[in-house]
Amino acid sequence: MVIRVKNLVKRYGNLVALDHLSLDVKEGEIFGLLGPNGSGKTTAINCILSLLKFDKGDIEVFNKPMTPESYDTKRDIGIVMQNVAVYKELTVYENIDYFCGLYVPDKVKRKQLVDEAIQFVGLEDYVKFQPKKLSGGLLRRLNIACGIAHKPKLIILDEPTVAVDPQSRNKILEGILELNRQGATIVYTSHYMEEVEQICSRILIIDKGKAIASGTKEELKNMITIGEKITLQTYGLTPEQISAAGNLPNVLSAEYNGSNLVIKSTKGKNNLESVLDFAKQEGIQFGTIYSELPTLNDVFLEITGKELRD
Amino acid sequence: MFVHIFRYRLKCLFKDKVTIFWTMIFPLVLATFFQLALANIGNNERFSPIEVAVVNDENYNNNQIFKTVLNEVSTGEERIFNLQTVTLENAARLLQDGEIAGYMVAETPVRLVVSKSGLRQNIIKIFLDRFMQTSSAAMAVRAQDFDSIGKEVLEEVSISKAEPNIHLNYFYSLIAMACFYGSLFGLREVMEIQADNSSIAARINIAPTHKLKAFIYSMCASFFIHIVELLILLIYLILVLKVDFGARIGYVLLTTIIGSIAGVSFGAIVSALIKKKEGLKIAILITFSMVCSFLAGMMMHSIKYSVSENVPILSYLNPVNLLTDALYSLHFFDSLSRYWLNMALLTMFILVFWFGTYFIVRRRKYASI
Amino acid sequence: MQVFKLCLKIIKDNIPTLMIYVVVFLGVSILATSSMSNESKEMASFTPTKTDIAFISDETGPLVDGLKEELSKVANFVEIERDTEALQDALYFRRVTYALYIPNGFTERFMGGEDVKIQKTTIPESYSSAYVDISVEKYFDLARLYLTNVENIAEEELVSKVLKDLSVTTNVELYDTRANKADTSYANFYFNYLSYSMLGVLVMGMSALMVVFSDKDIKRRNACSPISTSRINMQFILANLTFAMVTWFIMVGFCIMFNFKNSLTPATLYFVLNSFIFMICGTSLSYLIGTAVTNQEALSAVCNVVTLGPSFISGVFVPQELISQSVLRIASFTPSYWYVKANNEIAGLTSFGFEQLESVFSSILIQLGFAVAMFAVALVVAKRKRYA
Repeated sequence: MVIRVKNLVKRYGNLVALDHLSLDVKEGEIFGLLGPNGSGKTTAINCILSLLKFDKGDIEVFNKPMTPESYDTKRDIGIVMQNVAVYKELTVYENIDYFCGLYVPDKVKRKQLVDEAIQFVGLEDYVKFQPKKLSGGLLRRLNIACGIAHKPKLIILDEPTVAVDPQSRNKILEGILELNRQGATIVYTSHYMEEVEQICSRILIIDKGKAIASGTKEELKNMITIGEKITLQTYGLTPEQISAAGNLPNVLSAEYNGSNLVIKSTKGKNNLESVLDFAKQEGIQFGTIYSELPTLNDVFLEITGKELRD
Repeated sequence: MFVHIFRYRLKCLFKDKVTIFWTMIFPLVLATFFQLALANIGNNERFSPIEVAVVNDENYNNNQIFKTVLNEVSTGEERIFNLQTVTLENAARLLQDGEIAGYMVAETPVRLVVSKSGLRQNIIKIFLDRFMQTSSAAMAVRAQDFDSIGKEVLEEVSISKAEPNIHLNYFYSLIAMACFYGSLFGLREVMEIQADNSSIAARINIAPTHKLKAFIYSMCASFFIHIVELLILLIYLILVLKVDFGARIGYVLLTTIIGSIAGVSFGAIVSALIKKKEGLKIAILITFSMVCSFLAGMMMHSIKYSVSENVPILSYLNPVNLLTDALYSLHFFDSLSRYWLNMALLTMFILVFWFGTYFIVRRRKYASI
Repeated sequence: MQVFKLCLKIIKDNIPTLMIYVVVFLGVSILATSSMSNESKEMASFTPTKTDIAFISDETGPLVDGLKEELSKVANFVEIERDTEALQDALYFRRVTYALYIPNGFTERFMGGEDVKIQKTTIPESYSSAYVDISVEKYFDLARLYLTNVENIAEEELVSKVLKDLSVTTNVELYDTRANKADTSYANFYFNYLSYSMLGVLVMGMSALMVVFSDKDIKRRNACSPISTSRINMQFILANLTFAMVTWFIMVGFCIMFNFKNSLTPATLYFVLNSFIFMICGTSLSYLIGTAVTNQEALSAVCNVVTLGPSFISGVFVPQELISQSVLRIASFTPSYWYVKANNEIAGLTSFGFEQLESVFSSILIQLGFAVAMFAVALVVAKRKRYA
């Protein structure tokens, strides 16, 4: 087990930031920590890293209790924080070399590692630049390079893609997958469910400091009753037609807002077909029709009754 | 690890323009202004002659000696007066218009009319007093031999080996101020080691480096840069501005180094104690240093003495004053006892700063970030 | 008046900080002024305040006693132990500012016509010690005069004659006693010091305001609004002036309050006028700094140099009379110099006709010239920066 957290409780005064949170991260996986802003993701990470005092609970990293003095453990951890943490006076190269040097004293080895890191995040053309001359996306990449240059076995990325352009974001996500392929265990926190869905092999959803669901994305989606969501763009439906749509086989609910008819059904093979048949039968004219599989947002919605997005 | 951290800290701090400005450029500029303003005082360069008038009446024309002496001191390169010989009405007018500092009427004793009291007026009076007293004596003895006049009888024995110099106190407090502006370095060091202060610090806290060691290594870089800056200031003072610190230059150096350590450490403890934004911390440090320098007599040397007379405890609790005092007593006393007293107090301050900082910084987990 | 209102709001938000500046500067002004005006009184007074001196003599006799008698006109004697350490201590803590040491055998050698010396030790920065110097020199000058010109003069006779001669002094008369009843020295120093403190508050306060507006995005957004640039600028300047006037009012008001008994003179009126013009100058300067420097950190650096520098060379901290001509020539390129010059002239005036005030007015005009010039430069800079 790479990380094991048991019954972690952290209070800020009256506010309970983490409420008996438990989680396990296995070797070789990409573990996603998903939750809305303020749900306790960063707090959990800071507790795991022994930066924050917590009120209750046990934390083990690489099967050893984590303390501020666990230097051998720390040597194998790489962290990419939410805020860009680099020295504005140092160049790209110097920044990476400085932070890498805290882990790897050997100069020759370090030079190689730093070069690899620069290549990895694609900052070769900016080696001599000072951070203030980098755009937001490039700055994020530098931030990542500083965290992973020493080739850690465990990499924790805390919202590494906040305020990043799509191009840099894809580069970052690809990079994370690549790091994982090279053997690193990844902990990835985000409030973007698409990202988490895209790269994580196992996901923990938290809200208000509590773990509310965990598993692979398929497992998570299986937890909820909705299997498919079909949307028809159409006008002028009668109440009878709507309730008739609700009574189709496998259908859980049918909602109409004047222009879109949303039909949610359980998992099944012929849901779309039966809806199409129904439309033909009733003579409903529609502009577009599409079918969606449930997202993590639907999972979150069903469990907490609120949307994951703001 | 020491070399790695030390080297990169040097690079960082050296490029931190704001800190470099306050800790080096600003004292250099201030020193230049001091020198410009004070250069003339105590120098041999003469004050400009004083504008005076003498009333051209019968008495004046009859008093040959007065006439001769007055003309003598009003001619030549080194004259004291620019003399006008005018009627009483004109003299009054000139005085009213502020064109002369005063006018003289050759009565016995001589009458001096002025519009206000002031340094120039006083010089005229002293001159006239001296003239009359000497001429009274000369008349009494019908003196022929005036050679003895003006022979110096006083011999200045300076208080220590160094030349007495009115500027020195200004420069001493300037050095002390520069030392305490070093607190900006200490401030930054703590900001970048306390994980609840900056994300860079959080990153360092996560690294497998002993936090206290990392902190001490980078403090060393701060001390180093600041001491180099102060050396530049000293060299500038001595070689360019020609400030004479006397023979005890080694002690001045030692004091400066201790001062630097005190300043940087002071910044560290303030930064560790006050958990507010950086801007506020800087404001507190700069204001505190400035007020302490003011109380140590940087703007006005007399302030220093009113403090030590009225609130003596304050002069011992003001670290900038301790530094100024140390430098001053170095110049003032033959014996070093007072110097060492100041240095001992300063060292105590440093130790308090260090222990305080240690107890705050050694904590490695935070209640909130 | 949107911009104007916004400016006032920003100023209002910054009032706590600005109040700190005002209070600190006021405190420093008042402390410095009282300290300086005392010192200058000491320097200027015709009857000097008596200095505390240590008179150490290895012998007694008429000559030495006579010296002591003469010195008692300008000095108080303080008993000090006779060793270097104690003396240094006394000098250090200002128990005495002057120490005189007469060695054994001094009288005998002096009377014998030898060139003997008395040793003195002083603290360099004491003005009153000059009076002690003059007294000692006069005393021995005259003694020597008698010694060389009267053969075989007895010591007692010599001393009594010298003391008699020394009692002759100049009659000093104030030209217009009525006008000079009010002591202008306090106001003179306070107003001179104001050039540092008021400039400090103005520059720091206004630049805080300017920084908000010089933010690139805000500037662009303003430029896109349907209000003309010149109208925005006018409102802006109006707000700056309002702030400057309030500051000026508070700071001048304090001086008059503290020094009320000496304030009911025509001189006060001209001091106030002069400071008002200087305030306009300060506004102009702050506007220039605010437009030229947009980086917050650089701003505080510039502020400090711009307020402290001219104060040193223009005679705010050190009287103009004591500054060398060449430095004053440099200083004359700053408005502070003309402001201080006008103040010093006003303090010296006894009557206030146009003829007497001519030079004061020309100094004021020069300040106005500076204000206009700096403002013009600011406008040019602002224009250039608009597209930057």
